[in-house]
Amino acid sequence: MAKTYDYLFKLLLIGDSGVGKTCVLFRFSEDAFNTSFISTIGIDFKIRTIEMDGKKIKLQIWDTAGQERFRTITTAYYRGAMGIMLVYDITNEKSFENIKNWIRNIEENASADVSKERGEQLAVEYGIKFMETSAKGSINVEEAFYTLARDIKAKTEKKLEASNPPKGGHQLKPAEPQRKPTNWLSRCSLL
Amino acid sequence: MTAPAELSPELRAVLENGLNKTALTCLHCPSRILNPSVGTFVQQEFSLPSMTKQKDEIQDEKHELREFWKVKDMFHFENVGFSNTVDGVKYLTCADCEMGPIGWHDLVTKENFIAVSRVRNS
Repeated sequence: MAKTYDYLFKLLLIGDSGVGKTCVLFRFSEDAFNTSFISTIGIDFKIRTIEMDGKKIKLQIWDTAGQERFRTITTAYYRGAMGIMLVYDITNEKSFENIKNWIRNIEENASADVSKERGEQLAVEYGIKFMETSAKGSINVEEAFYTLARDIKAKTEKKLEASNPPKGGHQLKPAEPQRKPTNWLSRCSLL
Repeated sequence: MTAPAELSPELRAVLENGLNKTALTCLHCPSRILNPSVGTFVQQEFSLPSMTKQKDEIQDEKHELREFWKVKDMFHFENVGFSNTVDGVKYLTCADCEMGPIGWHDLVTKENFIAVSRVRNS
């Protein structure tokens, strides 16, 4: 069978417990069907599909549910991660302060694939962005995922180009501002 | 390829060349699980725990199911959740409302099976 996607990005959701990480993975927390069996054993990861600039991107997203304290999150957890989203609750000062601890934990445990600068940049940049926008509307959660995916996509494409220079006569189309947001994140209320 | 004669008309209506004719969505919410023609219809026995809601009393009730959509690669799903491993099996759920188990993931073969009766053809 033909490949059904263009990119596969592995993302982690990290932050203190109770900050709404699970909500980012849920569409409607209040409308969750949540059978007793599933809620007992817990979700390991989810696969989500988004489209960006005409490319189909698969996101494999892990939540830290059940291992929410940063000391318990070690190298194995970060292995293979291409993006990390740090999540905190704007009504919980401690969860924001802990972002620094999370970043330190990422530095100590993540492989060289995720550099210090990148980890810091991702964590701080997207953490703050998320905070700034979450008060206005839940659509920003989705925005954050798109931003993260876009960043990884740009990096991946840059790498591909470097190792495989385009042949002459092939005109690259400018990226269309085609944003077709899927709605799986847009109804998530984080407060 | 024609569907085996013993298949119900309902089942034959959702089959095309042995694959799912239409997209598969969650029974409880509009989340799209699988695109058309990605799942292969297979008949095999497998017991899945009940999808009964939390408020219901019956727990650990298992249902013997026989009809599944086989998905060879987990990244062929549009949206799906994978449970933690229990007795060598990962159960599949809706990625949005987490209704499930809608199927299971074989850790050895890496194949995935969605129960025909636990998703909607749309």
